[in-house]
Amino acid sequence: MRGLYLRWAGIIGIALVIAWLAAQHYDRAVKTITPGQLLQTRPVGTVRVIGLVQAGSLRVTPQEETTTPPHTPAMILADFELADQQERLPVHYDGPADDNLRELKTLVVVGHLTPDGPDGPAGRRFEAHEFDLLPNYGFITAAYLLALIPMGLFLFGMERRVALLYTVIKETTTYQPERDAVE
Amino acid sequence: MSRYILWLRKYQGWFGLAGGLCMTIGLYLGLVKSPPDYYQGEVVRIMYLHVPLAQTSLFAYATLFISSIWYLWKRDPLIDNAAHAAAGLGVFFTSAALVTGSIWAKPTWNTWWTWDPRLVSFTVLLLILIGYLMLRMFIDEPERQARFAAILAIVGGVDLPIVKFSVEWWRTLHQPLSVSPRGISYSSDMLTPLLIMAIGVSLLFAYMLMVRTQLLYLRQLLEAKKGRLLSRVQL
Repeated sequence: MRGLYLRWAGIIGIALVIAWLAAQHYDRAVKTITPGQLLQTRPVGTVRVIGLVQAGSLRVTPQEETTTPPHTPAMILADFELADQQERLPVHYDGPADDNLRELKTLVVVGHLTPDGPDGPAGRRFEAHEFDLLPNYGFITAAYLLALIPMGLFLFGMERRVALLYTVIKETTTYQPERDAVE
Repeated sequence: MSRYILWLRKYQGWFGLAGGLCMTIGLYLGLVKSPPDYYQGEVVRIMYLHVPLAQTSLFAYATLFISSIWYLWKRDPLIDNAAHAAAGLGVFFTSAALVTGSIWAKPTWNTWWTWDPRLVSFTVLLLILIGYLMLRMFIDEPERQARFAAILAIVGGVDLPIVKFSVEWWRTLHQPLSVSPRGISYSSDMLTPLLIMAIGVSLLFAYMLMVRTQLLYLRQLLEAKKGRLLSRVQL
């Protein structure tokens, strides 16, 4: 029984390490913040911001024709406002054209916040270089946890009962001389 | 103790270890390395668990089906234990596949459930498995229990091809067969983690089947030992 518990402690330890690595990966590559959170926390470096492209704010300028390989999307410059329920964030986008860039569309933009301008924080804008897909990691996490946790519990329960049965059967065998004595 | 049970006890750990390793690598490749889908986005990552679980459910029923035929032919209680174990595991894997599929359906089809032929036939498979276990609970005499359960499992086997080919035979919302004579409809970035996960879950199923077969065998052995002891005491 001790070996069983030790083995499962090891499995839980490995699972916790994997969960921690997954959380780190989520923070680094998947986590998005709203324009309000961005303007409050003012993070340094590349972040992912989710918001709604405000109606009437989008202006797209195609970049000058350059020699690009075939099947490569054209490069564009775009200015628009990304909003959540409290804040509006001016965004300047410089990158490949994307079908998802349209007004009243919820988008994830990847880039960084510029430093304060001559007018102070009011001159700040978000420099984006990439659009990303909307995160729906809640569904993925739910699916994996709802399948893997019961699987672990089910397997542990079975292994524990098997170990107990082996012990009981061994003990039952030990008492066989008594049975013979009764006979 | 049966030498087959001793064999299972000796080698089961390798299956568990290999299954766990494959699943760890598959989860890493599926959740971190593989790209998101153009249409579905990140939620496609549920596929790396849902598809292996669904395939293993069919595999579990196939094991039950073959074991039941084998039992009716040989009448070996150990084969009946394996069939009984496969049914219990089948209930677990089928339920898990339905739950993960339902969670995947919500963001892609905008519904948790729809009366789609694949979903309905898969739920029927779960009901057959539950029925199989209930039948075993209601019959006390072991030989009769095993015989009736085997017959039910063989009759219920008709659902297996219906589940598999429902997406080909009817117009369904569920995606068609991804691996068929027409070719493979996955990119290699997605196929590799999916295959590794499928192997991992299958190995884990094999491991669980070995453990559960032992569990059922040991229960019977203990009952037999107790019964023998009791009968000798009464003598």
